Order: sequence, then structure tokens, then C-alpha cells
Amino acid sequence: MSTSRLLEARNLTFSYGNKQDVLKSVNLTVSPGELVLLTGPTGCGKSTLAKCLTGFIPHYYQGALGGQVLIDGEDIAGMSLSHIARKVALVQQDPESQVCTLNVSDEVAFGPENYQVESTEIVERIHDKLAWVGGSHLSQRPTHAMSGGEKQRVVIAAMLACEPDYLILDEPSSSLDPPGIVLLRNILTSLKQEGLGILCIEHNIGAVRTVADRTLAMADGTLHDGPGRDSAIHSDSTVMRSLGPHPEPLLVASHLTFSYGHAAAVKDVSISAAGGEVIGIMGSNGSGKTTLLALLAGLLKPDSGQVVLGGQPLRDIKRNEALKRVAVVFQNPNHQIFERTVWRDQMLAASVAKLPVDVASEVSGRLLERAGLAQYRESNPFSLSHGQKRRLNLTSTALLSPQVYLLDEPFIGQDPDGREFVSRLVNETADRSGTCIVVTHSPEFVRRHCTRLVFMSEGAIVLDGPVQSVMKRMNEIGLGEYTVTEVD
Amino acid sequence: MGPYLGFINRNTVLHRLDPVLKLVALCAVAVGVLIYSSWSVNALVLIVLIVMFRVAKTRIGLASKRVKFLLFFSIFLVLLQVLVTPNGTVLFYVLPGPALPVTTFGLERGLFLALRFLLIVFSSILFVSVTDPSLLAQGLTRLGVPYRYSFMLVVALRFLPLFESENQSVRLAQKSRGIEPDVRSLSGILRTVRYTFFPLLVSALSRVDSLAMSMDGRGFGFAKKRTFVRRSTWSTADTLFSALVFGYLIMCVLLASGFIGLY
Repeated sequence: MSTSRLLEARNLTFSYGNKQDVLKSVNLTVSPGELVLLTGPTGCGKSTLAKCLTGFIPHYYQGALGGQVLIDGEDIAGMSLSHIARKVALVQQDPESQVCTLNVSDEVAFGPENYQVESTEIVERIHDKLAWVGGSHLSQRPTHAMSGGEKQRVVIAAMLACEPDYLILDEPSSSLDPPGIVLLRNILTSLKQEGLGILCIEHNIGAVRTVADRTLAMADGTLHDGPGRDSAIHSDSTVMRSLGPHPEPLLVASHLTFSYGHAAAVKDVSISAAGGEVIGIMGSNGSGKTTLLALLAGLLKPDSGQVVLGGQPLRDIKRNEALKRVAVVFQNPNHQIFERTVWRDQMLAASVAKLPVDVASEVSGRLLERAGLAQYRESNPFSLSHGQKRRLNLTSTALLSPQVYLLDEPFIGQDPDGREFVSRLVNETADRSGTCIVVTHSPEFVRRHCTRLVFMSEGAIVLDGPVQSVMKRMNEIGLGEYTVTEVD
Repeated sequence: MGPYLGFINRNTVLHRLDPVLKLVALCAVAVGVLIYSSWSVNALVLIVLIVMFRVAKTRIGLASKRVKFLLFFSIFLVLLQVLVTPNGTVLFYVLPGPALPVTTFGLERGLFLALRFLLIVFSSILFVSVTDPSLLAQGLTRLGVPYRYSFMLVVALRFLPLFESENQSVRLAQKSRGIEPDVRSLSGILRTVRYTFFPLLVSALSRVDSLAMSMDGRGFGFAKKRTFVRRSTWSTADTLFSALVFGYLIMCVLLASGFIGLY
């Protein structure tokens, strides 16, 4: 038995129940002070591997597990979950659901308190670990009042407070904006220097590749050497959209202001979108992008200002009439699925808008086919993957072929096929003289598909214009991280 | 939405009191108003309570919808009792006839019911806003409640604001798909409930595994006991306050059993 310090998986295999193997003979090592990046398409078994390495498989999930996981030479098979957790910590994808206390220092103290560490020592750890993640200023904050990025830093600090030797992060960049990703990279670098062995699972390779020591790619349940640190990210040639000389304005918003209680979310925003336009909206998390979409869709009533759709004030248009002309798809797909089967959810719009059933069925069938959801017609929509649910959100609004699409981060959680589907829908809408306003962190999408780019900061539009000139300006004023292709 | 209902950390005497003692005091108020029914005692306790709001630098929030509703409801209670209680000395009649007498007994009964209602609600509001749930959990653990259970309180409170915001998102999403809340028929109500409840439930369930893994991944349940970094310490104020609470309870018991009389 070797006694070297190493997190190791040997010939690891796993399948849930009697289904197909998720992991087929995985071999992996992570050394202290090393950052290993693990990539692969959605559903390839990355998260399953993370659960095996942290003992949640088999302690939490049943299935057929083979092979060994060794921590510093010791097989984890005989160890309890809390013992494994002291050595290998897992930071899961959604920071929101991993916070269990009401303020930040309680949260960081939670682990060591359970392990009965001395109070004075815990106080020191709170201080140190928050400093490691650049979160010292957060220590007295209530947990519910933090942004997603801040929550994630607190979750990482809370895991570090148990002083593990190895840290596994599952898709840490997925809820971050570009400045947040830059910060994450810095945190990972400093943790590496502290001697932690880190396994970072990322769908979005660009996010942390520059700080990784090795990259592994997972496909069909096995690991391969991934692309090196210096290899260029492949990128399709730029397909710039161009507009006719004087496009008609389709959606005009003037002087919109909206606040939640005392907190102003959107401040005096004016924006107009013409037929054939695809507008990208960028900005940090919490800059008011989502609220703006809800205002443009007429879902929130502005405190002042108005939205005009096709020459008619939106507030004068009946809800089920507006629905046929403006579609909005928000980020969390679970909140937007209401029926028990995919087909019924898809057809919901037909009954609301009183479309003839035969026409609606035909169009719906085609849409589901294109979105790769045809075989799930009778499935429960909540059993679909995240990307599939989001595509269902899109197809169910596409049924009414609205002129205006408002999409909030449509690419998060999508594999290449899903991304292709979204892009095609956007282009087709623009081709039939509709307009799309897309909130996104993806500069690649903006370059390839948008005619205009809007940058928001603290509830206001600070830049608005042709993509290339806005991006140029963003680079000049220190917003360069938004324009670098690093986000899927 | 009204002002945030929940613990707000301020450094006042009431905030510093032992959380378990505050819980006992809350129960004492409830028991007290239930075993002895008199509008004058209730009014006295309500005045003490209002003073305590001041001491705790906590706003009652008279302008908020929530508090307005409570006040209207208590006025309604008074009026209802006044109208339906015929016995007692008649003060005047509402309708000529004479019908619907307003009596002293009816008025007293109405006042006492309304005050009892206000007392229980406002003491709970005060308790929630001056009691740190984490310290309460620690206090209960000290008294022998296993921390697995006392900690549930903290977790529940942690997720309340999240469900509130998710509820808002679901409503926006419903509106975006043209689903209007329909309360005209039973099937409409059921559909509205289902359309709201399903997405929220799915969202909540999807968080359960993650939360459990996050807590177990930090040694929750590792040993029977755990360290509490923050703990409350018993002070003179606690002793005085417990004497007050105890005194109040004894007074209520004596009044209720008729050993002493008010008039």
C-alpha cells in the first residue's frame, strides 16, 4: 500500500440500478497543490465521478460501484461519510442550496463546529478561509442578501474551514458573470498555493483552463487527456448580421424605472428594437438585466416610463394578446413548466391563445422534433435534463411565433446541439423581421449573431451600439473580461 | 411586501436576552392571556409590549399592509362582539326599534378578545425580530434538544426568503405564459394551485439533495455534541426579566383562580 499523498481513483465503474454504466473504468489522480480540470459534455458522468470521489456514492446513491477510491493510500470503502468529507470536500453546482445558516460567519463555522473544533480555533479559521476566497468583508452579512457569486465564495470558504486536503468543484463558473470568473481563477490559484489538490469539473473549459495544471476530458464514462493549456479555442467564422437602412421600431421602451421596495433595479432605461435586430445585453449579475426583460415583456409594471409594442402601449394590450407577440424565457426552467407531460406543457399556449388544436399540434410536433424532445412527448417535463427543460421553455413559447423574443441566459446548461437550436431560433425570428433581445455572458454569441450590444451597469444602460464598437469601448474602459471568449 | 419579517441584529437589551428565556416569555404571554381574561390586564401587557418594541428599536410598522390588516381585523373583532352580545348594561341601541343593543359586557368582551389577539400576534413579531435563531438553536441544544432537531429551525428560516423570491419568479413565469390566477370555479382554483405549487415543489425538492450533501459533507451529525462558536451568556438582565415573566404568570394564575381580585 502506498502512503504518498494523493487522491486516486482506480478502475472506477458505476451504474445507477441496472442501467448502462455511467463510469467505465476511470483512473484519475490528483496531487496536493495540483489543479486538474475535468471537462466533457453534459451527462457524461462528471458529476457522478465527483460523488464517487467524495463518498456520496455509495453513501447517498444506490447503484453498482466497482473499483477503488483511495485518499492518501487509504481505501474510502471502509470510511464514514464525515471522515471522507474531512479529507475531500465537494462544492456543488448551485451555491444557493448549499448554504444552511443565516449569516456568513455561522456558515463558515458550521463544519468545524460539527467536528467539535475548539471555538478559538474556529474563529481563526473563519477569518483565514474568508480571506482566502476574498470574502473578509462578507463575514457579518446575512446569507440571504448575497449575490450568487458571493454565496459561492462563502460555500467554498465553508468547505475549506473543515481543512480538507482535496477540493472538488462541480461547474463552479456556471452561475458567475465574467468578473466573477476572473475572481474564481484567482481563488483557485491561491488555493493551489496553499497546497490543496483541486479537481475542477467544468463544462465551460475557457473559464479555468489558464490556471489548470492538467486537463482531462470525459466521454462515454472514461477519461482521456484533454486539450492543453495553450491550445486555441475553436471558433466558427464570424457571421455578422446586417440590417436594412431604416428598420421599423418594433419594441420601444422609454424612461423605464423600476424598484423592488427601496432598491432601484432599473433606472431610466430607454431602448428600442427594430424588426430584424438581435440585441445582446451584457452586464454583471445584479445589474438589472432580468428585471428589464420582465418590464419589456409587460410582466412587471414600471414605476415610470412605458413600453410601446408595434405602436401600441403595452399596458393597453390584453395579456393573452401580448403573449402572441412577446415571448420571454427566464433562467430557471423549473419555474416555467406547468404541466404533467412535455406535450401538454408544449400545448398550454394553444389553449391560452385559443389556437385551433390541429394547427397547434402540427407546429408543436415539428418544434419538439427540432429541439430533440420528440421522444419525450409523454414524459414528465421535470424529469428532463436542465438543457432539455430550457429548450422546452423555448418551444412552448415558439408555438405562437411571437415577433419579440426576450431570452435570459439561454445558453447556460446547453450542450452544442442545444446551443445550435437556440441560435437557430434567434436567427429565424430575426429573418422574419422579428426581434430578439438576449441577455448573455457569451461574447461569442454576441459577435456571431447580434446586430447590437447593450451594456448595463447598476440598473442603467451605459453602452449601446454596434457590437464591434461597443466591445472596443468595453475593452478601453476596463470591461475587457466580458469580451474575451471564456464563457460558453 | 412589508418590512422584512425576521431577525434583525441590533445591540439592545432585548436582543441580548437569553433566547430560550425569550421563548419562555412568549409562551408565558400566550398562557397568561388564555387563562385569565380581562381587557384591562391585556391592555396593560400590550402597553408593556409597545414599550419593549421601543426598547428593541424595532418598528411595529403601522403603515405596513400586514399590520394594517391586523388592526382592522381586531377592530372587526370588537364590533362583532359588541353586536352579538346582548347581555350586560345597555349603553345605547344601534338601530331604532330598539334593536341591536350595545352593552358594557359586549364592549368589554370585544376589547378583551381583540387585545388578546393583538398581544399574541405582536409578541410573536417582537420575539422573531429580536431572537437570533442560531442562538436559539444553541440554547435549545444546551437544554438537551438534539442539535439535529434544533437546527431544523435555522434551516427552515434560511430558506424562507428563497421561497418567497421563487414564488415571485413563478408568478412572473405564469404571467408570461398567459396563466391568470382563476378563482371563479373550483377547477380553476385547483389549476391555479397546481400551477403554482408544482414548480415550487420541484424547485424545493431539487435543492434537498444538494442541501443534505452540503451539510453531511461538513460533518453534520459527526458526533452527538458539537461546538457552538456563538453562545448566549446569562446576565443580570436575564435574571430580572425572568423574575418579571414569572411574576406575570403567577399573577395570572392567582387572578384566574380567584385568589386575588382586580376590582
